[in-house]
Amino acid sequence: MSTATGYNFAYLDEQSKRMIRRAILKAVAIPGYQVPFGGREMPLPHGWGTGGMQVTASVIGEADRLKVIDQGADDTTNAVSIRRFFATTAGVETTESTAAASLIQTRHRIPETPLQADQILIYQVPIPEPLRFIEPRETETRKMHALSEYGAMQVKLYEDVARFGHIATSYDYPVMVNNRYMMDPSPIPKFDNPKMNRMPALQLFGAGFEKRIYAVPPYTEVKSLDFDDYPFEVQRWDENCAICGSDHSFLDEVIIDDAGSKMFVCSDTDYCRSRQTNATESATATEETLS
Amino acid sequence: MAVLTPTVNSNALIAGFDDPVQHGQQVFRALLKAMSEPGTLIELELNLATPGLLNNSTWQTLLSLLDADTQLWLSPRLNSDERVTSNLRFHCQSPIIDGSKAADFAVALADELPVLRDLNWGTSEYPDRSTTLIVQVPALSDEPHWELTGPGIESRKTARIAGLSEEFRLALINSRKRFPLGVDCIFCCGSKLLALPRSTQIREMRPEEGEA
Amino acid sequence: MYVAVKGGEKAIDNAHALMRKTRRGDESITELTVEQIREQLPLAVDRVMNEGSVYDPELAALALKQASGDAVEAIFLLRAYRTTLPRIGYSEPLDTEAMQIERRISGTFKDLPGGQVLGSTYDYTHRLLDFTLLAEGEAPISALDPETSDEETLDACPRVLELLNKEGLIEQSREADEADHTPADLTREPVNYPAERAVRLQNLVRGDEGFLLSLSYASMRGYGDSHPFAGELRSGRVNVELVPEELGFAIEIGDLFLTECEMVNQFHGNKNQPPQFTRGYGLAFGRSERKAMSVALVERSLRAEELGEEVLYPNQDQEFVLSHSDCVSANGFVSHLKLPHYVDFQSELEMIRRLRREIAAATDEENNK
Repeated sequence: MSTATGYNFAYLDEQSKRMIRRAILKAVAIPGYQVPFGGREMPLPHGWGTGGMQVTASVIGEADRLKVIDQGADDTTNAVSIRRFFATTAGVETTESTAAASLIQTRHRIPETPLQADQILIYQVPIPEPLRFIEPRETETRKMHALSEYGAMQVKLYEDVARFGHIATSYDYPVMVNNRYMMDPSPIPKFDNPKMNRMPALQLFGAGFEKRIYAVPPYTEVKSLDFDDYPFEVQRWDENCAICGSDHSFLDEVIIDDAGSKMFVCSDTDYCRSRQTNATESATATEETLS
Repeated sequence: MAVLTPTVNSNALIAGFDDPVQHGQQVFRALLKAMSEPGTLIELELNLATPGLLNNSTWQTLLSLLDADTQLWLSPRLNSDERVTSNLRFHCQSPIIDGSKAADFAVALADELPVLRDLNWGTSEYPDRSTTLIVQVPALSDEPHWELTGPGIESRKTARIAGLSEEFRLALINSRKRFPLGVDCIFCCGSKLLALPRSTQIREMRPEEGEA
Repeated sequence: MYVAVKGGEKAIDNAHALMRKTRRGDESITELTVEQIREQLPLAVDRVMNEGSVYDPELAALALKQASGDAVEAIFLLRAYRTTLPRIGYSEPLDTEAMQIERRISGTFKDLPGGQVLGSTYDYTHRLLDFTLLAEGEAPISALDPETSDEETLDACPRVLELLNKEGLIEQSREADEADHTPADLTREPVNYPAERAVRLQNLVRGDEGFLLSLSYASMRGYGDSHPFAGELRSGRVNVELVPEELGFAIEIGDLFLTECEMVNQFHGNKNQPPQFTRGYGLAFGRSERKAMSVALVERSLRAEELGEEVLYPNQDQEFVLSHSDCVSANGFVSHLKLPHYVDFQSELEMIRRLRREIAAATDEENNK
C-alpha cells in the first residue's frame, strides 16, 4: 500500500479544491443544472469514480466520517480502493455504517437506510447528461436545457410504452429536479429514484472526465419522468433476501452452482448486516425473556 | 472593465487562516450548509482578526473562496480602504475590477449595494457564470420578516436581514422570476452568515403575520 | 452457504503483488534501469511526455518502467503526477523560428534558405530485422562513423511558410489580431464548445497518437477535404524564457527538444477572398514526427467551420474529435466496464424477464382463444 507523503490533505491542491468548491456552491444554487468545472486527473482511471472523488476531496475535513459503497456494498474492490485512498491521503475515519457516516460516496446505489439532515451523499457519475443518448452534441443539449425542451425524452420513453407496454428504462432513469432541470441520477436502479425526492441529506454529483458537477439540495422535489396512463414504478422481487429475509430492499441475484441455481441477497451490505444483528439481538432478548 | 491594481501596503497586512487547509475546508462546509439550506443562520466557529471594514464572516468567506482565478468587485468604501484591498491582494491574489458586471464575486456594505441588474446573472445556457454577492449587514436573524421557500427548505423559513434598501429588496424578490438566471447572495454579520441562492422564493410578510 | 462474490482488501493486495512479480519477469535477467529506458527507448519516452503533458524524460522513463512498457498506463501515471504540481509561472511564447535545428525537411521546395537536413530518421531505412542487434548488440557508434556529428546543427532559419506569406499566398493566422487575448488553459478549465483554436491545439497535442493518426489518414483518403503538403517539418532545441515579476525582463530557464510541423492546404477562396493556402499546425515534445504531422492534419480538418467548408465527416467535427482524443479518458471509460455492474444488470434482468413473461402470457391467451 502506497503512502501519501508529499501530497496535500485529500490529494488535491488547495487551488483545485477552491475551484471545485465554487462549482459545488453554484450547483447547489441551481438544483439539477450541470456546472462545468476544471476536472483534474486523479490517480484512478476516468470512469472509476474520479468525479465523485474530486467532490469528496474538496468537501472532506478532519471531522468527517467517510463511507464508500459500490453496488451498495462496502467491500467491493473499487469501494475498498477509494476508501483506502481517502484513509491514506486525508487520514479521516471511515465507516461501513450508513447512519454513522457524515459523507457517503456511492456508485450505483442509494443506501436503504434513510439518510438524515447534515449527511452528504456524493454520487460517482459516468455520463451526466440525461439527453446524451438522444443528442450527442453538448452545444445542442445545452440549448435544450436552457429552453426546458425535454419533449425528445418523453418521446423516447413513450416509444418503449408503445413497443413493450412499459417504460423499459430500468436504471439511469431520468428525473426532473425542482420542476426545472432534467437530471441524470447516475446509473442507480430506478428502485432508488424515489429516495431522492425530498431527501433530508444534500446530494452532490461528480462526473470526472465529463467535467460536470451538479446537486440536489435537501428537501428538493425530484420526480421520475412518467405518463398519466403509465405511472413510474420500481422493481420488485418475488423472493426475499436469503440472509436477512428483507422483502423490501434491492436484491442482487447470486448464481450458486453449475446448474444455475440462484439466491437473492441484499445489495446493501450494511443494511443486511444491521437487520441480521437486530434479528439476533431480538432473538436473544426473546430467549432471555423466556428463560 | 479594468483591473485595478491597488498597491499592497505591507504595514496594513494581517494574518489569514493559521491552517489554510483545515480552516479553508471548515469555512467552505459552513458556506455549503448555508447555501444548501437557505435562510439557516450559521455561526462560524473561528474568530480571526479582520482587515479594516470587513467583519469576521465576510473575511473568512473571502479567504476560503477567492484566489487568482476569481474577479472581485468591491463597493466604494471597501475599495478605498487600504487595509481591505492590501489584505485581499496579498492573501487571495484576486484581480480587483472596477465593473461589477464582470465580477465573479462582489462584496458590498449594506448601505452601498450595487444595483442588482448591474451584476452578472449568467446566461440561459450557462447560468452558473454569474456573480456571487456578499453583503455585510448590520443585523441578521430569523425574525418573521421574509418568508423563504424553495429547495433546501423543508416547508418554510423566516429571516430578517437588516440594512437593505427598498429598491434592492424588491429587485431581489423580483429576480426570482428569471430563474435559472440570477445572483446568489451571502449575507454576513459579525461571525454569522446566511445565504439566499437564486432558487429561494422570498415573500415579504405583513407586520401582523409576525405577531402570530 | 453464501460465497462472498465481493473481492475486498486482500484480493487487491495480492493482485498488486502479482503484478509486481510479472513486471519484473525472470529475475536471472538484469533489471532494466530508468536511465536505460530514457537513453535507449527515447521515442517511447517522447510519446509518454506528449500525452502525459510533462516535459521530463526521466519521469516519463520511470512511468514506462512502472507500467511494464504500456504507453497508455505510463501516460496516465505522468498525468496524475502532473495534476498535483504547483504552477510557479508562465513562460514566454516559444520562438520556434530560433530553433537549433537538428532535422528539417520540406515537401514543398527542393531547396530553401538554410537548407534541408535529414537528421536522425527511420524514413529511408529498409525495414529488415537487424539480427546483429539480437546476437551481439549494437556495433560501437564510432564504427558507424556518421559524417555529421551531433553538434552540427543548423542555426536559426526562417520557416518555410514565411516565404509563402511574403507573397501573400498563405492566410494570416486568424487570431493574430487578438494578441492580448490569453488563451484558455485546457488543464484548468473544461472545454466549452465551440472551442477556440488554441484550445483545440492543446487538446490535440495531448491526444492519443493512434487516434489522431487514423483520423489524419481518413482525411487524406477523402473523409474530409484535405490535400495537404508538408510545408515544413523541423526538430531541435528551443529556449524557454520566463519573466520573473521581480526582474521585469526575460531570463532563459532551459530548453526543450521539439518537433514542429506546418502543413499547407488548399483553399478555394470565396466571394471576399481570392484563393490562397491555409495552414495546419502541429507541435510536439521530442522527436515525435508522426504526432506533429497528425496534429497538423486534424487541426486543419477541424478548421472546416471557420473556413466555411461543409462539415461532413467526424474529423471535421470538434465535439467528436476533442471529446474522444484523450487516451487517459478513453482508456478509463472503456476499462470501467470491468467494474461491477451487478445492480444495473439486475435491473435489466428483472425488466427483460418481466417483458418476456408478459409476452408469453399474451401469446398463451391468444392461442387459447
